Amino acid sequence: MHELSIAAAILERAQAASQRNGGARVTKVGLRIGAIAGVEADALAFGIEALSLHTPLQGLVLEIELCKRKQRCSACAAEFEIKGAQASCPTCNGEQSECIAGKELDVMFFELEDAPCA
Amino acid sequence: MRLDVEEKVLSENDKLARGLRERYRQHKVFCVNLISSPGSGKTALLERTLEALPKTTKVAVLTGDLQTENDARRLAKAGFPVKQITTGGTCHLDASMVIKALDDWDLDAIDLLFVENVGNLVCPTSYDLGEHAKIVLLSVTEGEDKPLKYPSIFAVAELCIINKLDLLPYVPFDLAQAIANARQVHPGMEVVETSCTKVQGLDAWLAWIERRRKKAIL
Repeated sequence: MHELSIAAAILERAQAASQRNGGARVTKVGLRIGAIAGVEADALAFGIEALSLHTPLQGLVLEIELCKRKQRCSACAAEFEIKGAQASCPTCNGEQSECIAGKELDVMFFELEDAPCA
Repeated sequence: MRLDVEEKVLSENDKLARGLRERYRQHKVFCVNLISSPGSGKTALLERTLEALPKTTKVAVLTGDLQTENDARRLAKAGFPVKQITTGGTCHLDASMVIKALDDWDLDAIDLLFVENVGNLVCPTSYDLGEHAKIVLLSVTEGEDKPLKYPSIFAVAELCIINKLDLLPYVPFDLAQAIANARQVHPGMEVVETSCTKVQGLDAWLAWIERRRKKAIL
């Protein structure tokens, strides 16, 4: 359940974004989560909800973009997705490849309400 | 108002991990991060490994658990420096815990650093500890479909150790299928088979460490 510490890190960033913008309320956060990032979107949403309760961030909406895992063949450099039991390169049948996408765990954007008048 | 940021959620940890990696480079320390479910035999493997290494080897171990100093006590018997990291309730080690644990150790006195993560096949995957390689252990009592159920760790680990090989006659574990499953989520993944009660496969494991260390420490 490390989603709780990840949720805390996201909320910290949201709070900092709010402070940098005159205390404007953060209403939405955009996240990008890779297929093998090891992060469960539902558990993360639960963590955000639980930790933001009774804080200015309560009700924060998550917009999650899930990223597929992508490999690059070490032999022929073809890029491909691993499908079912087929893990070798569909172009040259090479067995060695490196992961080039799917590990993402990024904050992409925040949406803020207009700052309260000073 | 929309504010584009595009930054890693764990960039704080990643920053600390980069610092660790740089210190390892400066002091020529080779570090591996051992990850598995609880009870797969990480500590037993380290016990056998420490026993097998020449006493002149500059090796040290950090071992993580939620509670107790039990693992550190077990590992200290080999006579090398060992430190327990108790995380309280946290399900993984992070870079700040490693930095704190290394605080009073002279890195010039260490060539090889084993970090035994908290027993957990999920959460440690996300946390960079500055290690040169993550290693995943799977024991034959766990079932050969573990790599398919927990693909993330098998995808990022460089080496898969299949442990408790001595129990193979007693459990319905398809070794060839387990290796095929690991290589399905991690094409070409290296695999070493070990038993820590019968002391089997240790040579292949030590040879992997030496090979990988040479590649890391140029």
